[in-house]
Amino acid sequence: MSVNVMERERTAIINPLKTCQPLGAMYVVTGIRRAVPLVHGSQGCSTFVRYSFSRHFREPSEIAVTSLHEDAAVFGGRRNLVEGLQNVATRLEPSLIGVITTCSSEIIGDDVIGFIKTAKDELKKKIGEKKTEKVKIIPISTPSFVETHLKGYDNAVKALVDHVAEPSEPNEKINIIPGMVNPGDIREIKHMLRLMNLEGILLTDISDPFDSPLRPSATEFKPYYPKGGTTVEEIVDSANSSGTISLTKYAGSGALSLEKKYNIPAELGPIPIGVKNTDQFLRNLKKITGQDVTDEILDERGLLIDSMADLASRYLFDKTVAIYGDPEITSGIARFVGELGMVPKLVVTGANNQEFVKDMKKVGKETGAEIDTMVGQDLRAMEVYLKDNPVDLMIGSSDARLMAKEYEIPLVRVGFPVYDRVGYHRHPIVGYNGGIHLIDLITNTVLEKYYEPEHWKLQQ
Amino acid sequence: MEPVIETFESRKKHMCVKGEGISIPVCDKASLPGTVTQRTCVFGGARIVLMPITDSIHLVHGPIGCAACTWDIRGSKSSREDLYKKGCSTDLQEKDIVFGGEKKLFETVLELYNIYKPGAIFVYATCVSGVIGDDIKAVCKKAEDLTRCKVIPVQSEGFQNHNKTKGHWIGGDALLDYVIGTKEPEETTPFDINIVGEFNVAGDLWGIKPLLEEMGVNIISAISGDSHADEIAQAHRAKLNIVQCQKSSNYVARKMEKKYGIPFIKVNFFGLEQTTNSLREIADFFGDQEMIQRTEKIIERGLKGVEDETREYRKRLEGKTVALYVGGNKAWSLVRAFEELGMNVMMSGTKNGIKEDYERIKEVVQDGTIIVDDANSTELARLLKKYRPNLLISGAKEKYISLKLSIPFCDFNHDRISAFAGFKGFVSFAKEVDASVSSPVFNLASKTLSKVSKTPSNLGGDENAS
Repeated sequence: MSVNVMERERTAIINPLKTCQPLGAMYVVTGIRRAVPLVHGSQGCSTFVRYSFSRHFREPSEIAVTSLHEDAAVFGGRRNLVEGLQNVATRLEPSLIGVITTCSSEIIGDDVIGFIKTAKDELKKKIGEKKTEKVKIIPISTPSFVETHLKGYDNAVKALVDHVAEPSEPNEKINIIPGMVNPGDIREIKHMLRLMNLEGILLTDISDPFDSPLRPSATEFKPYYPKGGTTVEEIVDSANSSGTISLTKYAGSGALSLEKKYNIPAELGPIPIGVKNTDQFLRNLKKITGQDVTDEILDERGLLIDSMADLASRYLFDKTVAIYGDPEITSGIARFVGELGMVPKLVVTGANNQEFVKDMKKVGKETGAEIDTMVGQDLRAMEVYLKDNPVDLMIGSSDARLMAKEYEIPLVRVGFPVYDRVGYHRHPIVGYNGGIHLIDLITNTVLEKYYEPEHWKLQQ
Repeated sequence: MEPVIETFESRKKHMCVKGEGISIPVCDKASLPGTVTQRTCVFGGARIVLMPITDSIHLVHGPIGCAACTWDIRGSKSSREDLYKKGCSTDLQEKDIVFGGEKKLFETVLELYNIYKPGAIFVYATCVSGVIGDDIKAVCKKAEDLTRCKVIPVQSEGFQNHNKTKGHWIGGDALLDYVIGTKEPEETTPFDINIVGEFNVAGDLWGIKPLLEEMGVNIISAISGDSHADEIAQAHRAKLNIVQCQKSSNYVARKMEKKYGIPFIKVNFFGLEQTTNSLREIADFFGDQEMIQRTEKIIERGLKGVEDETREYRKRLEGKTVALYVGGNKAWSLVRAFEELGMNVMMSGTKNGIKEDYERIKEVVQDGTIIVDDANSTELARLLKKYRPNLLISGAKEKYISLKLSIPFCDFNHDRISAFAGFKGFVSFAKEVDASVSSPVFNLASKTLSKVSKTPSNLGGDENAS
């Protein structure tokens, strides 16, 4: 019934469970139709993130960079940013450019807002006022030495609504800030909204940009953009929605900003993983929109409960689990495995966040489990822990695959990045359907290791 | 003359066609800001050269992203430790930016030493540690004095240069200044060599090493694939350096020649003719008759069977075209290997080429071959769309650009899983190339929706549809 919080006693990070802010911002901008993330920094800052995205999503990832070099460190990055903005605007004709800062451009103190103004003035001379106004240029401040990629995600969503959203007529829509989830999750969220007869504005929607069809005809368009993504018009309209639900309480600044400026009610979290969290999400939807939960949704809920009843007590009850990754996702999964009668023995996150500790206390209370909670930690800490306290199952990214092998603990792959198996970005873990997918994944993994085939056959 | 593809005025001269007067593109210039460059940073360049040293800790002194996005991405295999796969960072925070990160770095090095007792600790400078002016050298010195473990500064601030080749040199300098020559071998032989610029990606080194050992050559170290810092420390006693990746490692070989008088020869183990030539050149260098005879036997045995084993692949690949867009060395070293499969290299390009690299490419490709420098993603897509090769050879970032245009792709970078070097490697190489080019998926992918709906009976195999 208690939560034992374990903070890092080392200075060194060994096998990180987090990355830096710009990655989160690049993720957000990619979810906007015809938008281009422009990273104001070194080439590695964009190239390595593109590599990470490609490895996880198996999709191309278009991220431009201002290519800062030594002279910029001395004289500032003004020329690079102004020229870079012009090149992106004239060549790619985007609807929006997100200017994403990095550690170097933050430290050298570049006046990004001033540079954007200069670039716009130059652009007006080049391509005319009308065309220039068509390209929204949004500064997104993401110093890499502050917090984690989730903070970058948060800053980017906030920058978008702050610079783009404009109030006009109420639209009866609901804004959703999904957090750093997969295309499959976003599709599931949209599916739930449809079943509730609601129209949503996703801030932002990476489902198609990071999982787009191979259709040569589409690539003939010049310049090429993947289909889908949230339109700029939708972001403008987000100031007129009935409310905003951020599926992560760790990145809700955009929702709070809309609430403060335009009086749009905000709900922060939880991520709809598992039964109770999804129930809560639907209650939040109902609270904001007044829309009743439909029968179809209750059927989906029933299907999840049915599959839990089929499997939980037989194969999953009392199995101990180590969960690692981003705070929102790990807390959602901890709650869900608790609902299944499993024991979330260890939950590890790279973020250093007291909100997360509160979450774990809640889960501990509900499940009666004693949860060892690591905040601001890395995978090395988990390894040391598992050496003395083995668990039955691990749930998290591919980054702990070698550890799973060494300690012979089966691993259910969830979160970011997953690069040593395929399909994980396509299937949801959120919503009732995501719950069904997750319980299938978990149970099959458990069966593989803990029940020999013949034995299992007799028992089913 | 018609431009190779439509692009920015300043970029036109970065592409040319061999045989049309100018045969070398403008190169080694900063990328245009605002493009989606395929290039990485100087830190990345240094890291990939050193990361294959398996018994060492590779510590990135910077904010978490520099380490988080680059740990364990090298694809270099190890026969012993896996310490090199750990992602280590000082995770610089705002207060470190203000007050400096030296103290934190020192503590971190000590912690890592105490946990792992590694062969060496490489400390990489990043943009941030450069801008805030941390004296990495001094910290490394202090930590080394305390631990008696090699703690090696790598001055790889990311933004130093547009060309990651500079990073390769910096990585090389770290070895030259702090590792090579710091330990004497217990025994030496007249046939001691180093394999320089072989990073054991997918196990390439293991395709070459047995051949060399059978020749009677004694390998002191591989720099840096599957090696220990301790082995590289003895590299100065070699009689010969053979250089595989000349893009990254000629620099090290030249410096070793100057400092220790070790001659070097450029080798290439991709493709049959190149492998054969390389083995012969090594044997000729030593001039030992027995070794020369043994080498001929190894070659004879190596070639035997390869033709049979690759016949089916070559039949399917005959006359197919291939575009190379790779990280330097491969832009010329792979050309002959593809020709041996019956394929034509119609384009070769690199991301960070210098003039010397393009000279090499020009030497080996046929007239009419497109040569490109630093093509950004839009240009790459345009090149692929306009010239439609049957295969693109590149890395993970380019892979999905190519596939989205339904052009088959084969990885020749970190993510490769089969070894391609040597005789056996050539068979795997043929097999993988064939698996990409001959996949039936692309017959489906090349249909546009309108064509499918107009001619529903014609759903597969029509080569003319695009």
